[in-house]
Amino acid sequence: MQHTLATFRRVLESKGALVGMLFLATVALLAAFVRFLPIDPLEQDLLMVLEGPSAEHWFGTDELGRDIMARVIEGARTSLLTAVGAVSIAALAGIPIGLAAGFFGGWRDAVLMRLVDVLMALPNILFAMALIAVLGRSQMAALVAVGITGIPSFARITRAQVLSLRKRDFVTAVEAFGGSPGYSMFRTVLPNAWSPILVQVVVLSSVAILLEAALAFLGVGIPPPTPSWGEMLRTGKSYLYEAPYYAVLPGIVLTLTILSLDTLGRRLATVLEDRHGAAEETGLEEEGT
Amino acid sequence: MTGFILRRLLQLLPVLLIASLGVWAMIFAVPGGPVGMIVGENASAEQIQAAVERLGLDRPVIAQYWSWLTGALQGDLGLSIHSREPVLDLIAQRFPATLQLGLASIVIGLVIGVPVALLSALFPGSWLDRALSGWSALALGVPTFWLGILLILLFAVQLRWLPSASAHVPFWESPLDMLANMLLPALTLGVYVSGIFARFLRASLVGELKADYVRTARSKGLRERDVVGRHVLRNAMLPFVTVVGLMMANFIGGAVVTEAVFTYPGLGRLLIQAISTRDYPLIQGCILVILAVYVVINLLVDVLYAYIDPRIDYG
Repeated sequence: MQHTLATFRRVLESKGALVGMLFLATVALLAAFVRFLPIDPLEQDLLMVLEGPSAEHWFGTDELGRDIMARVIEGARTSLLTAVGAVSIAALAGIPIGLAAGFFGGWRDAVLMRLVDVLMALPNILFAMALIAVLGRSQMAALVAVGITGIPSFARITRAQVLSLRKRDFVTAVEAFGGSPGYSMFRTVLPNAWSPILVQVVVLSSVAILLEAALAFLGVGIPPPTPSWGEMLRTGKSYLYEAPYYAVLPGIVLTLTILSLDTLGRRLATVLEDRHGAAEETGLEEEGT
Repeated sequence: MTGFILRRLLQLLPVLLIASLGVWAMIFAVPGGPVGMIVGENASAEQIQAAVERLGLDRPVIAQYWSWLTGALQGDLGLSIHSREPVLDLIAQRFPATLQLGLASIVIGLVIGVPVALLSALFPGSWLDRALSGWSALALGVPTFWLGILLILLFAVQLRWLPSASAHVPFWESPLDMLANMLLPALTLGVYVSGIFARFLRASLVGELKADYVRTARSKGLRERDVVGRHVLRNAMLPFVTVVGLMMANFIGGAVVTEAVFTYPGLGRLLIQAISTRDYPLIQGCILVILAVYVVINLLVDVLYAYIDPRIDYG
């Protein structure tokens, strides 16, 4: 816990990461409490169609007279929930696969990693589209499709970590004392493999948000009327002449979210690498952090 | 060399087989299955029976997969449900457009990305390096579909210099028209690619610049231009070839979003249309072709890499 706090503090020492964190926190807070705000993402006002930004509607109104800012905030909910859900699916499937492949080696490794290769043989967006074509268009389908595309990166990173930790003395010691494979895998190896996995969680969140938005932009993502940033850009693109702000403002929020996550991810990677390097130099291995 | 290629092919075989099995099995996961897809939901029992026999669905599953696979390998991907045209013909019509867009964006990516990487690697930690790294972060962070929209807003809506929807014009027919149609989509993808290229090449250049042979070359009194141009760049370019190749492989199907922004008639748009009309033979065909091209380009990149890097033993 102490280490977690120290890492967090080190991450936020960078100005870029701090700004990114503040932006993400604001978006998340607004998304969480959108129900308590005096705005309604679904309320239509057909007398106020495609109005530009004003004091009443900061981001303007859409083709049905709905408040675009309210829809951007509600869209943040969709995006963040997709990120959390998809990354959970990817981690819950990918980490055990990588753990088992790296730990057991041999034919199990070969079979598991070939399956992972198959997932990687198509660009993510195509894989997700194909899956949605089969499952039908729904919020769940989008979530699962985005989640599955994230499995290979978790599997590969975990496997690489396990391979480098596997022959270390503390793992051999646990095995020599009669620890079961499950115990050594989950209680001994995994706790030491967290750093790159954590970085991957942040990186993949931004990938998931981007992929969900792209699917919605293509018209195969989460179905309307649930507001989604990609869907707003898709509709906004039809009104470029009448209402250019419609496609621009939601795009700015989406881009800032992606950039914030990227900055945080890279900063986190640097901090964790530094710490790892420092621990290595002093001969202190931090177990269980 | 032949042995190396054969070995790589053998490794690819299981991946391709499992993937093709997935594409084939897709049709059974669809509500109504392959029969419902052809005869519709309100078909009579006789119609269904006839369709089952015609499609050979009463045969063992393995036999069905085998005849589908051998058919596909001979170029028979079936007929599109929507247009009744052979799927392969539809794909062949779109393929040149996608290839042209992919190549154009890689050229733009190289033109922007290589100088960015060189400048920031030569002055690491400087303000220039920080600014250029910022460029890479921005290029990678801005969603391509939003950048596309911004470019349309500026060049098509405001300035009216370029069309907002891009048609495919072959270069040899009218180079100027091609340029006008390709510029915005290629720039959209090219900016993104430049971010990947710049980040990758910078890392590889910084690594090479620390190598012993660079110190030797400098201590011999070689001009910095020659050190970088003749030694460092050559070595740093090696792994870079892989990245460029993988990018191309990705664009065959992965440019679907950019194609949608500019309503560009490529393979990706064909696939979206197929999905929205539930044209499953066309969906299967598109995915299979994209998969095959992706795998072949990957193989070519591996072979090329082994060929240009004398240190790799492919015997």
